[in-house]
Amino acid sequence: MARCAKCAALAREVEDFDARIHDAAMVPVPEALADRVLLRHKVREPARFGGFGFGIWALAASLIIAIGVVIHLHRADIGDEERIATSAAVGEGHAAIAAISYVLDHEPQLLKENVSGDPAVMRSALMRLGLKLPAKGTTVRYLGKCPVPSGEGEHLVLQTPFGQVTLILVPEQSLGPRVVVAYRDRTAAVSPLRSGSYIVVADSLRAVKQLEQMLM
Amino acid sequence: MLFEGRQSKFENVVRAFSAELYRYAYWLCRERFLAEDLVQETFTRAWQSWEGLRDDKAVKSWLYTILRNEHARLFEKKRIEIDETQELDEVVDSGSMNAYESFEMRDAIEALPKSYREPLLLQVLGGFNCSEIAGTMNISEGAVMTRLTRARLALRKLTGQATERKEKVR
Repeated sequence: MARCAKCAALAREVEDFDARIHDAAMVPVPEALADRVLLRHKVREPARFGGFGFGIWALAASLIIAIGVVIHLHRADIGDEERIATSAAVGEGHAAIAAISYVLDHEPQLLKENVSGDPAVMRSALMRLGLKLPAKGTTVRYLGKCPVPSGEGEHLVLQTPFGQVTLILVPEQSLGPRVVVAYRDRTAAVSPLRSGSYIVVADSLRAVKQLEQMLM
Repeated sequence: MLFEGRQSKFENVVRAFSAELYRYAYWLCRERFLAEDLVQETFTRAWQSWEGLRDDKAVKSWLYTILRNEHARLFEKKRIEIDETQELDEVVDSGSMNAYESFEMRDAIEALPKSYREPLLLQVLGGFNCSEIAGTMNISEGAVMTRLTRARLALRKLTGQATERKEKVR
């Protein structure tokens, strides 16, 4: 090959062509993809370990919690139909209004920039609040920080089977009693938890509730 | 302890292969959000079957196979039937007009029929040899070689035509 100039040229040409194919196939990979995969995996994983005995107790506890959540959501469902507040009722400075504004005004740009925050921080926030990310059919599109009236929240954008939903976690801070607000074509639910609060923003109350159901 | 070992091995695998699996997924579905979903699902399924993985060296081809199956499962209804007897000229003629525009190689890869594009991407992105590609695609090694050759010929023809077209325009 080295002795034959034509063969060497042909070999070079073949190599160049393969390099072009390789370069073209290397499409850009979204930043922090591995982190997002691991975040989703880890958040739901603690429930998997342990032996058979642990599994039985976990199953029993899950059933009791699930029944509780169903009853709670059923009650909330009846109530919320009547209690969807407007921006005028809660005031422009309310966490729900601020969250909807942030989602509509800033989120598209954040998704476009494709820069994500630290999954460990997010994981810790979810655990502190006793929430878990849905195990199936949901992808974390973005994670980062966002402003809330009491300071800063952990901001997650989730792609779910029922559309794009934003979840804002506010550990160790109270945002007041549960409120559901409709504003600028979005619905937001602000809910207190034992160790903080969370806000869910979606395009319908149904989507908000579906996500809440999955988080518990 | 055992769980932690398994967990850290899994983390290493996610970090090592998520980028190349994403690229493969992207070329399968050509939609970036969907490609990420496919990668997420692939690792979810991989973790669920992690204990069944006997050979660490096989993890890469195993992940590619899961992703490929997951894609087929999700798109079974939408899948365009592949004509295995399709000739090279038909391939080139059926290419989209985009193939003649600026990102000619990327468009040319996109214009390839799936049966040619897939083994080519497994080779280029995954670095698999013909025998491994044959195993992943469940076809013979000979068929893989034929498809790889035809894929490259088609790409040459497509990118050549793009250049010719550009020169005519000038």
